[in-house]
Amino acid sequence: MKKIVEQNQAGMDESLIDYDVLVIGGGIAGDEAALKLADVGYKILIVEKDLSIGGRMILLSKVFPTLDCSACITTPKVSETARHRNISIFTKTEVKSITRRQDNFFDITILKRTRYVLETLCTGCKECEDVCPILIPDEYQYNQVARKAVFIPFSIAQPRIANIDIDNCILCGLCEKKCPSDAIDFTLVDTYEHLVVKSVVLATGFRLFNPTVLSRYGYGRYKNVMTAMEMERQLAPTRPYNSVLRPKDGKMPDNIAYLLCVGSRDQTVGNPICSQICCMYSTKQAQLLLGALPMADVTVYYLHVRAFGKGFCEFYNQALSMGVNYIKAKVASVREKENGNLILRYEDFSTGQVEEQEHDLVVLATGILANAEIESVFKGEKLELDPYEFVRQKDMLTNPAITSISGVFAAGTVTGPMDIPDTILSAGAAAAEATAYLKKLS
Amino acid sequence: MKKRIGVYVCHCGGNISDVVNVSEVVTAVKDMEGVAIAKNTLFACSDAAQNEIVNDITSLHLDALVIASCSPKLHLHTFRAVAERAGLNSYNYVQVNIREQCSWAHSYEKVSATGKAIQLVKSGIERVIFSRAMEPFSIPAEQSVMVLGAGIGGMRSAISLANVGLQVYLLEREFFIGGRTAQWGDLSAAYENGPEVVSRLFKQIREHANIHLFIGAELISQSGNIGSFEVKVKIKPRRISGDCDESGFNQAISICPVEVPDDFNFGLTSRKAIYQHYPSEYPAIPAIDDANCNFCGACESLCKSIDLNQKEEILNLKVGNIIVNTGFDPYEPTRGEFGYNEIERVLTLPQFKRLVDISGAGKLNFKGKQIHTITYIFCVGSRQGEEGENQYCSRYCCTTALNTAIIVKRKFADITNIHCTRGIRTYGKQELIYEESSRQGDIFLEFSFENMPVVEERNGKVFVRIKDILTANREMEAETDLVVLITGMVPRRNNNIAQMLKIPTGRDHFFNEIHAKLRPVETVIDGVLIAGTCQGPKNIMETLNSSMAAAAKSAASLSSGTIHLEPIVADVNTDQCTGCGICLTVCPFDAIVTAGPEDKPAVSIVISRCKGCGMCLPVCPEDAIELYGFTNEEMEGMIDGLTSY
Amino acid sequence: MESSSAKLKVLVFSTDKISDPAIDLAGLLKKHYPAGVYTISVPCSSAIKPRWIIHALQRGFDGVFIAADGTDCPYGELCVPNTANLVAATQIKMEKLGIAPQRLKMAAICSICAEPFVRYMNSFLHDLDTI
Ligand SMILES: Cc1cc2nc3c(=O)[nH]c(=O)nc-3n(C[C@H](O)[C@H](O)[C@H](O)COP(=O)(O)OP(=O)(O)OC[C@H]3O[C@@H](n4cnc5c(N)ncnc54)[C@H](O)[C@@H]3O)c2cc1C
Ligand SMILES: Cc1cc2nc3c(=O)[nH]c(=O)nc-3n(C[C@H](O)[C@H](O)[C@H](O)COP(=O)(O)OP(=O)(O)OC[C@H]3O[C@@H](n4cnc5c(N)ncnc54)[C@H](O)[C@@H]3O)c2cc1C
Ligand code: SF4
Ligand code: SF4
Repeated sequence: MKKIVEQNQAGMDESLIDYDVLVIGGGIAGDEAALKLADVGYKILIVEKDLSIGGRMILLSKVFPTLDCSACITTPKVSETARHRNISIFTKTEVKSITRRQDNFFDITILKRTRYVLETLCTGCKECEDVCPILIPDEYQYNQVARKAVFIPFSIAQPRIANIDIDNCILCGLCEKKCPSDAIDFTLVDTYEHLVVKSVVLATGFRLFNPTVLSRYGYGRYKNVMTAMEMERQLAPTRPYNSVLRPKDGKMPDNIAYLLCVGSRDQTVGNPICSQICCMYSTKQAQLLLGALPMADVTVYYLHVRAFGKGFCEFYNQALSMGVNYIKAKVASVREKENGNLILRYEDFSTGQVEEQEHDLVVLATGILANAEIESVFKGEKLELDPYEFVRQKDMLTNPAITSISGVFAAGTVTGPMDIPDTILSAGAAAAEATAYLKKLS
Repeated sequence: MKKRIGVYVCHCGGNISDVVNVSEVVTAVKDMEGVAIAKNTLFACSDAAQNEIVNDITSLHLDALVIASCSPKLHLHTFRAVAERAGLNSYNYVQVNIREQCSWAHSYEKVSATGKAIQLVKSGIERVIFSRAMEPFSIPAEQSVMVLGAGIGGMRSAISLANVGLQVYLLEREFFIGGRTAQWGDLSAAYENGPEVVSRLFKQIREHANIHLFIGAELISQSGNIGSFEVKVKIKPRRISGDCDESGFNQAISICPVEVPDDFNFGLTSRKAIYQHYPSEYPAIPAIDDANCNFCGACESLCKSIDLNQKEEILNLKVGNIIVNTGFDPYEPTRGEFGYNEIERVLTLPQFKRLVDISGAGKLNFKGKQIHTITYIFCVGSRQGEEGENQYCSRYCCTTALNTAIIVKRKFADITNIHCTRGIRTYGKQELIYEESSRQGDIFLEFSFENMPVVEERNGKVFVRIKDILTANREMEAETDLVVLITGMVPRRNNNIAQMLKIPTGRDHFFNEIHAKLRPVETVIDGVLIAGTCQGPKNIMETLNSSMAAAAKSAASLSSGTIHLEPIVADVNTDQCTGCGICLTVCPFDAIVTAGPEDKPAVSIVISRCKGCGMCLPVCPEDAIELYGFTNEEMEGMIDGLTSY
Repeated sequence: MESSSAKLKVLVFSTDKISDPAIDLAGLLKKHYPAGVYTISVPCSSAIKPRWIIHALQRGFDGVFIAADGTDCPYGELCVPNTANLVAATQIKMEKLGIAPQRLKMAAICSICAEPFVRYMNSFLHDLDTI
């Protein structure tokens, strides 16, 4: 290590550098790390593969344990990020390769996928959406409503710019004619770019477990079995409907069940670890549901309630005192009745008996899985992962931000499940360590 | 007087508009004198809305801005920046809180809440009519930080700060560094050992030219502001100067006649008044503990570097930021709580960790008896219900307890572990530790808050009785050789730091951050940051993350070399002032001085000392003092707004 | 079931760093208090001028409540006596003007005193109702 630094102090040519730090992933972790580094004065590039920065958090309803509205906390962070003079953001862009150079900098190749919309011209007026004849499920609302082929992902997206989903577009050209600022251009193409950066922060976040794998819970087969992320959208201020509705018949549910640990703590699906947030987000949603549907009953089927963080236990007590029903049970299966209601079969620990209970909506608290796709981008050096494919923290007990590659740091859920407060702290740690690394280089 | 005010009333997605009729508010104020435009907006803080406001300010030539939304604690700075971007002085912006103090507080009274929101917005408008443009003061930022506490968190903060180029004064109150982590032996989540981890960090500290470590050091006074805090530090005499050869120290320790319970081992063993906890401890020389030393001089005669006359030192330092890393205390059960202090075979987890660490492998003995069955009672001092003192979960303890149970079984022969829990909380990857302890055959029972286990001693035997939730509330009793109380974390006792630095504490009595998600390491006192377990229970990794985050925040705030301070200071109207000097007696910062010619005496404000508290305002018999931002016009305007119809 | 105290108007002077956060917390925790309670925040409770209080009472507020910093004040221990003095001075002025001194009340509210704040409001409104 020492040797590399010396060599690099000798042969360093600052003029080659496009950015001091490449931040991969523009979720709350990436944004926080970028802001802290940019405040010190470094030039940052955030590469986000999605259409908006803000990650999962910008789509949440309210956040435990304070029930702050998530948008109210995310939007200002996101807009501060977008506006910082030391931060550039490429959305709809992927990092294709990262290679360490002789001089210890990194060569980066990125692929900027086109939106078929000129970003500088689009004003986000949404007129194009009005004329587009195509309707397809809206992935930002977790397919609960439809969107157009030309669309702005959601009202608080950053940037708030249209995008054409070319796979579903029929090239009718209506939007192109309608756009008042001539921002739509079907001749645009994807482009590769090469950049040189000094260091990298990985903030690519997590994936959610796909519950169709556990067919006994009926997700995908029974309409009134949904995931908590879908429920999150129904409860959000930028929600698809103005109320909470059953997917099957649009009826307001009044007896809702939560199943915890779906796809977590489960060797049979290859994921033995606990997802750390699902107990609490379910407890949060239960409280929000009682607020939105005052007559409804909410039952949470749990093994353990992991209310461990600052204010969490108090938050859980609050749910109990509001009347959320917690049953310590192992749920064996879910089956559907003709009217769309669902029968849960479970072993109740308090009685030791197998019981059945009917609910009209079942919400699965699906767990968090690693998003390991970034590993393959590193050429010539190995990015080590832990057994669950999260990025391995090389030195958890003295420096949690460093990875197996020098100059590459990890922020947020890329290293394991965590809630927003922990994500933000870990992003701060990555920023501190990246700053230290850059100081040492120069 | 402002003539072209822009007013924006935020829906906050529904947080406000579900209760307050936002368009009614807009209608009620749009024709007020001075209002040029009034609008509602879904999320005033969103980028699109911010841009819209900027455009309105420039295109409509607005001279003041009022946004009715959430608490200014959240977004005052966000919206001040909006004003600045549009070329409007940010002090001509007023934020009206219609969320925390209206829609949320009155969610069952929609009509009254709307009425209240209207008055609040009117009052904001009346205030901004009289607001005046101001510029923040700029002061140079000291490129140095004081870190309080050299536990794992404080050491980490110091290294990160030093690595970004700041000077660091690291203060440890005890004579040895490492904090609690040094006490724990084998650690969970990574196969490492407490003292080893501490020594890895200590090595970096010793080698770093930017870190100035003071041991036995305490903060005794503090004044000043972010950017330049003036602090006074007292260094207790260690009564050892330089190095004596090792055997000299060992002889000195053995000759010392004073023997006291060893805190490091939580009273399981004893030590002398001259002591060192373990051989590789840092710094690697003993210390003399004044509270117990009787100054007999026996040790001094054996080792020339012992100096019983060493004096305390006082140090004056100037720093830009202060990071508080003062850690936690283990919960101390009350006498008789699960038999603690009454039954000698009842230990706390910290005591047990020490016992495991100091016992040689093979057999585990305690009080002359070999231990086979160990019963662990979880959540002692934590999760004490809605009425309890400590409602919170201590977060570290489930994992640490199970990890300890695994180690015990590996290290000692014939051990059976029985865990009486309230639901295991081995969150995240720590679940694997739970899995491993289940796999090794540990027994898990679970009790509820209503039915606490009972520990009893009968005929020299110890029994634990529990109603087990996992087997349909069956009552059972087990004889056990040892009971380990899994005690939680509590705020440090005898910590005067909170008062000295004015750090607020939360509902759990730990130090409180401004906002767990937006500003997780900042306190309401600018420049005073908190990290590690003084802010709430954390394991080591979480302590490190927050400490590094605090270092990153410090680096970001000090790096530009200047700090901007609020220009809210007192101002004397010299025409009215008679120079009576009453105000001088109430100012806590000596910021008022007498001035003016002899025939017309008056006082004046030393701007650099004034902190804008306003204590001088009400005492002036001539009403000659005003506080910028809180002038009579502004305050009475607000009151008029609240009462106008 | 609205009592007559529901129509009363109270002005609370809170402090930016200590008691105003507690009042925010009351809202955050949905601890309800009557909507006739209005808050104006100042840097420190010892900065409130008697004339503002009297202005509020003369303009139609039924009572004024000072949510004082108490010993938590970030500006130091002088806050407590200074606040007490200004309250006493104001009450004397109020008496002279024929305003019942009970219409001004003070209590220390710490930064997490959401619940005590709500209790104070309820009891203050109740007391005002009986004046
Ligand atoms: C249903 C649900 C409810 C929740 N509720 C709460 C709550 O109430 N309170 C709370 O504290 N936490 C909650 N959480 C947890 C919270 O969402 C996470 O803690 C947080 O989003 C983690 O942020 P992150 O930046 O690490 O990851 P993410 O939010 O996943 O962001 C990662 C970003 O990286 C991008 N990305 C991924 N791969 C690449 C790539 N190869 N190249 C470029 N970009 C890439 C993604 O598009 C994304 O924008 C909830 C989570 C879920 C699932
Ligand atoms: C029994 C037990 C076992 C544990 N085992 C594990 C484990 O296996 N794995 C794990 O990850 N975590 C474990 N933990 C948690 C771990 O101990 C903490 O996360 C860690 O010690 C927190 O570090 P800290 O720096 O915040 O606080 P501390 O360790 O408490 O250090 C604070 C330091 O500040 C000093 N100080 C206090 N006040 C002042 C002052 N006014 N001025 C100057 N200095 C001051 C103290 O003397 C101390 O040195 C365990 C905890 C306990 C109780
Ligand atoms: S957080 Fe709760 S629901 Fe999620 S995996 Fe862990 S125990 Fe299960
Ligand atoms: S971590 Fe476990 S033992 Fe500790 S308080 Fe929480 S639940 Fe109880």
